[in-house]
Amino acid sequence: MGGVVFAPTMLGVLKGCSPSTGRWRPELFTASQAALVTALSDTIIPATDTKGAADVGVPGFIESMVKDVYSEEQRTSFLDGLERFDEKCREQTGSAFASLDAGAQTEFANTENRLAIENEAEEGPQFFLVFKELTMVGYFRTEEGATRVLRYEDIPGIYQGCIPFEDVGRTWSHNH
Amino acid sequence: MNLNLKAKKNNSYDAIVVGTGISGGWAAKELTENGLNTLVLERGRNVRHIEDYPTMLKKPWELPYNDRVTQEEAQHYQKQMRTGYTIRQSTKHWWIRDTDQPYEEIKRFDWIRGYHVGGRSIMWGRQSYRLAPMDFEANAKEGIAVDWPIRYEDIAPWYSHVEKFAGISGQALGLPQLPDSEFLPPWELNCVEEHLKESLDANFGRVLTIGRTANMTRSHQGRGSCMSRNLCMRGCPYGAYFSSNASTLPAAEATGNMTLRPNSIVDSIIYDEDLGKATGVRVIDAETLETFEFYSNVIFLNASCMNTTLIMLNSISDRFPNGLGNDSGELGHNVMDHHFRVGANGEFDGYEDRYYWGRRPTGFYIPRFRNLDRNDRSYLRGFGYQGGASRQDWRHAVRELAIGEPLKELVQTPGKWTLGMTAFGEMLPDHSNRVYLDHNKKDKWGQPTLVFDVEFKENEFKMREDMKNDAAEMLEAAGFKNITTFDDPGGPGLGIHEMGTARMGRDPRTSVLNKWNQVHACKNVFVTDGAAMTSAACQNPSLTYMAFAARSAHYAAEEMKKGNL
Repeated sequence: MGGVVFAPTMLGVLKGCSPSTGRWRPELFTASQAALVTALSDTIIPATDTKGAADVGVPGFIESMVKDVYSEEQRTSFLDGLERFDEKCREQTGSAFASLDAGAQTEFANTENRLAIENEAEEGPQFFLVFKELTMVGYFRTEEGATRVLRYEDIPGIYQGCIPFEDVGRTWSHNH
Repeated sequence: MNLNLKAKKNNSYDAIVVGTGISGGWAAKELTENGLNTLVLERGRNVRHIEDYPTMLKKPWELPYNDRVTQEEAQHYQKQMRTGYTIRQSTKHWWIRDTDQPYEEIKRFDWIRGYHVGGRSIMWGRQSYRLAPMDFEANAKEGIAVDWPIRYEDIAPWYSHVEKFAGISGQALGLPQLPDSEFLPPWELNCVEEHLKESLDANFGRVLTIGRTANMTRSHQGRGSCMSRNLCMRGCPYGAYFSSNASTLPAAEATGNMTLRPNSIVDSIIYDEDLGKATGVRVIDAETLETFEFYSNVIFLNASCMNTTLIMLNSISDRFPNGLGNDSGELGHNVMDHHFRVGANGEFDGYEDRYYWGRRPTGFYIPRFRNLDRNDRSYLRGFGYQGGASRQDWRHAVRELAIGEPLKELVQTPGKWTLGMTAFGEMLPDHSNRVYLDHNKKDKWGQPTLVFDVEFKENEFKMREDMKNDAAEMLEAAGFKNITTFDDPGGPGLGIHEMGTARMGRDPRTSVLNKWNQVHACKNVFVTDGAAMTSAACQNPSLTYMAFAARSAHYAAEEMKKGNL
């Protein structure tokens, strides 16, 4: 998947290219939904010294989950959430989320993240947190996310129940 | 006439074993090792050890949909999915499609099945505990159902026999309510589990121990030691946990005395009115729908509790108009499972500099502590807990104020230690909990289907109060925070420990099997799967099925040598 370190993928999206790896052809999402999913997932997990969400195919993973695994009710609610997210973004910034610069995207996403955490207890499931978790599920199941950001051992060999954290160094990608 | 005789000769064996799961594998091993020419029938496809475990080496990024199944696939597994963990991309090929294998529920019953060589021994939870002397005495003491026709001493040597071959890891404790097995070295507890163990001992005088599991902590019996991948349910490339495919069937095969025939659905047992015994089985080829008859001196039914019962109910003769061996009318009754999914979770502050290496294929176990020396609760019997502690993974960061680079940094440190445990409680045998055949509704092989009329009753629900509250109380005493309890029994069957429908007993008028697991009135038919259980105890039952199967097969072989069968 992809090259070594990708620049933010926003440019590709703006040019109307298929986002991220160039292999994803959205089937469920419209072009603007695909652009939003790409931009938002890559804002939540951007490229740093490790790859970002878009570089490892998370937008395509999100679509496949929403399209094939979600129930119809979950799917409708997710697509509705995408629309309302972008609407709010346009109201507040005058621009679709995917068209904002990276700094503005991070600022808007941070605000939405905070509001979602604050409102969840009273209002129930929040689109932003559903999206954030799905992005993280998609990212940490990839080789990049599981082995380079987190730690993954395919064949641990032994089990030790109580060792210094430094001996592992990073969170296990798979606990069980 | 000559042709018929020849066909009969070619289709004749010393013994037939119906089913290749945990208990069928053991029957096959013992019968063949005792020199009996044995036909082993399996209704599903063949599964060869290692070669036929398609997902055993798949890495997380090689499984589509994060290992979940699509809505389209899920339509075929609506009942099998009730467990919440069985139907995955990595494991769905081990479970039957409900759309192919219907059954009727008068009340909800979760019948979770795998039809292939090895059966559920491939996907089982591997928790392995002996029943205790008190478990075999409880029915008689309390006047519940009927007395077991054996006592612990009768089965103890056979526990040892199967444990030495299967490879059970665990810690010897000398507890009367949970006798020790022949153990391989135990897995380790982690820091927080160790803390809870010390607290239970100090505050309650209760025991917490590492789960006793058929995962081998070192090489044993020619099979490799566990690599702590915890992907057991996919099939193990090292053969490091007990399954029929890795363990008993290869041993049976090695004798040269086993003929394994997959895709063979047993329709019924052939009963000879003149001889007064069974002479063979009628089989439908699952692929071609051809029918065959196979003949033998003895027949072992190990089709799993419900399917063994189905075969017996479907074996009608003048002598047995209500099903083979059903003089008592108890065949299909006294359905039991374990009731669980009740307990508590909590968070623990501290040990933030400690972590673990590897994915342990077991949790901890808290042996039964209620109603041991005397019955001082408002219910009979008791329960044990299974649980585990771990540190929160990346998910703890979902609800944190972090997006972007800070989020990527945050997830690299694990969250708090959390610990959860669920109780497994004994379900009493009750005549009104039953299954029966629907001859009007056939499956696609023309077989009658089962109807389930089973429910948890008052004793189970009273017990669940303790199961929930004791868990919370123990966590509180050990200093856990944010303790939450849960209690959702689901349907009976969800424990995947179905048992009791052809119970053992002393009296043919009130039970189906005798103390050797022989059908009282048809002594060359043996039932050594869960159907034979007279009571359920609260321990996971597979080890007990292994011991009964080995004991009965040994007995059958001895009796045949003496000319008694």
